[in-house]
Amino acid sequence: MTARETLPILGFLIGAVLVSLFVTSNVVLNFLVFTLILAIAAQGWNLLGGYGGQYSFGHAAFFGMGAYVSAILQQRFGVNAYPAVAFGIAAAAVLGYAIGAMVFRAGLRGSYFALVTLAFAEVLRILANATEITGGAAGLLISLNLGAGNLQFADRSSFLILGAVLLALAMLITLALEKSRLGAQLVAVRENESAAAALGVDILAVKLRAISLSAALTGAAGALYAQYFLYIDSNIAFGTWISVEALLAPIIGGAGTVFGPLIGALILQGLSEGTKLLIGKIPGLDLIIFGVLLILVVRFPLHRIPGLLAARWRGKGAP
Amino acid sequence: MSQIALSRRQALLAAPVLLSAPSIAQAQPRAIKLGIIQPVTGALAQDGEYGRIGAELAIADINAGGGIKALGGVPIEMVFGDARSTPDGGVAEVEKMQAEGVLAIVGGFASPICLAASQAASRYDLPYIVDVGVSDQIVTRGLTNTFRFGPGFGTVTASALDNLVAINDAAGKPSRTAVIVHEDGLFGSGMARLLNAELPKRGFQVLETISHPTPSRDMSNVALRIRALNPDLIIPSSYYAEFVLLSQTLQQRRIRPKGIYCILNGAASNFRFVREFPEAANLVMDCNHWADPRKAKTAELRRRVEAQGRFWLYNVPLNYSAVMLFADALERAGRADRGALIQALAATGAGFDSHIMPYGPTQFVNGQNQGGKPVNTQVQNGDIKVIFPRDFADAQPVYPVTG
Repeated sequence: MTARETLPILGFLIGAVLVSLFVTSNVVLNFLVFTLILAIAAQGWNLLGGYGGQYSFGHAAFFGMGAYVSAILQQRFGVNAYPAVAFGIAAAAVLGYAIGAMVFRAGLRGSYFALVTLAFAEVLRILANATEITGGAAGLLISLNLGAGNLQFADRSSFLILGAVLLALAMLITLALEKSRLGAQLVAVRENESAAAALGVDILAVKLRAISLSAALTGAAGALYAQYFLYIDSNIAFGTWISVEALLAPIIGGAGTVFGPLIGALILQGLSEGTKLLIGKIPGLDLIIFGVLLILVVRFPLHRIPGLLAARWRGKGAP
Repeated sequence: MSQIALSRRQALLAAPVLLSAPSIAQAQPRAIKLGIIQPVTGALAQDGEYGRIGAELAIADINAGGGIKALGGVPIEMVFGDARSTPDGGVAEVEKMQAEGVLAIVGGFASPICLAASQAASRYDLPYIVDVGVSDQIVTRGLTNTFRFGPGFGTVTASALDNLVAINDAAGKPSRTAVIVHEDGLFGSGMARLLNAELPKRGFQVLETISHPTPSRDMSNVALRIRALNPDLIIPSSYYAEFVLLSQTLQQRRIRPKGIYCILNGAASNFRFVREFPEAANLVMDCNHWADPRKAKTAELRRRVEAQGRFWLYNVPLNYSAVMLFADALERAGRADRGALIQALAATGAGFDSHIMPYGPTQFVNGQNQGGKPVNTQVQNGDIKVIFPRDFADAQPVYPVTG
């Protein structure tokens, strides 16, 4: 990883700081913070799905684990927010390893892997809904105690910087992985698992490392969500919405790329909020238009548009 | 011809008055913006839509009555936000409403949305009136901006048990045994635990507690078990679809206990259930939010809602009353200022009578109205009647059910 390669990430961070300094609208800041939380979760998915080709439908399990462990430690055991968030991330990583150990050892791939991860997330959602320590269906509220020492900020711009720093870290990790031996092995597994095994790649170990790292990143997004909204319940933390958003963002923005999840999250949230802003007067119409736009974006990914136009141009010019 | 001669000193003295004249004229806003947050898309869309109708009707009534008189008759303008049935959706709407300069926010419906949105509003000292959300956490966080006019979970459950005993005693104690049927989430499980602990103290024997998942596709086994146990009372704690399924199954299998007594049930105080499944719904009792049937305004409002081709659900009167509370407090505050409005809301007393809920005198303690209580309803011949407490009742309980 060279300094030149990290420049775009540094540029993103400087841009985020400038936005936090000059944008005063809390509507915009709230939108950006939420987008960053999604982008971090999506970066986690991207690591396993984009680079490793393991398409998980259940990253909500890791998001929820990060959120719940962080919130439970703060509310039930009086742990300070900083170590609580760290434990949340670690717990998500351990969960990722545990799920990976079971699923990858069983040799599940492709749609089987996707369905099993979805099932794990659902099991955790039901457990969280019925367990006392998670607050059950009533959810868990983190006490409002504003102050940097509690990782709670009165202004949205501080959260924007926190989110941007975490996402920049996630992108640096992804970039480092991309350039590392593990990254090359992961791509090899994605492209042809049997060939990679024949070349001596320890498939199980590579997948386990990738899923643990992926889970940790998505867990960080969950912990940040809990810290920002100060309330979680089983449907928020382990709901299918986050699994879908976490995989849609990299697919739209560019799976297996460092900036793909951020671009995808910006497009997703931008379309969602944009349609709501323009057509929000008629309830539901914005969601219909958002759905149509989403289909178009998935059908014609933005990063492919220049290529499509060029191909069309060439097609017209051909005899 | 007389001339008015102003000395330099007089002119200087008059200047501040003249200069401030336009600002005095502008001090009263052209309209008071009131934020209404409801989930009108997503899983809670039906409730949100009815909440919106309640708020719209209240605003229409206030404006038709001459607006806020203390502010020179300014009308209320609704700024509506769709929470999309999620807490983050609610928070995003609070931010937009803050940017639009609303004076207060009413609504939320679900406890998670109310918790997150009121917390976001507290950052701006923006008064927030919860319409329905019953979680006791809403008013125990020390947020000075948050008020709830309706009762919380603790009050509802305590009232439900007391009212059950009173109804049973008044009928000569026909019921002594009960079966509890509950969904296996925390709502149902928590309620079942509470009932198991409290019913024996009140002279009822709990024969069995039967749980079921949500969603459930079949209630035959539950119904068969109930038939075998033959309880006097069935006490269900389930959501809409499961309760409808249970009551239909009981009807099909001709299982007729002396009473079906619900608490905060999603269906038993819902005209959709009554209209679509009239036989299964008949004589089901519920302890829930409901409008005061004695007030003329309740009947008028119901007519207006039904004229729109809608059902009469409790969301309408609760939101209507919450907006009326806002207007009442604003009249007393005398100025469009958030701090003054919060103080006026906290000081609301028995004089607040423009609401249509069957509550005692209004008094807020830590944002919770102490007068807020649920009532017992019963489906009687295609209508939902209030049967208890007697002060508010518009029908006698049909209990025990015979035949």
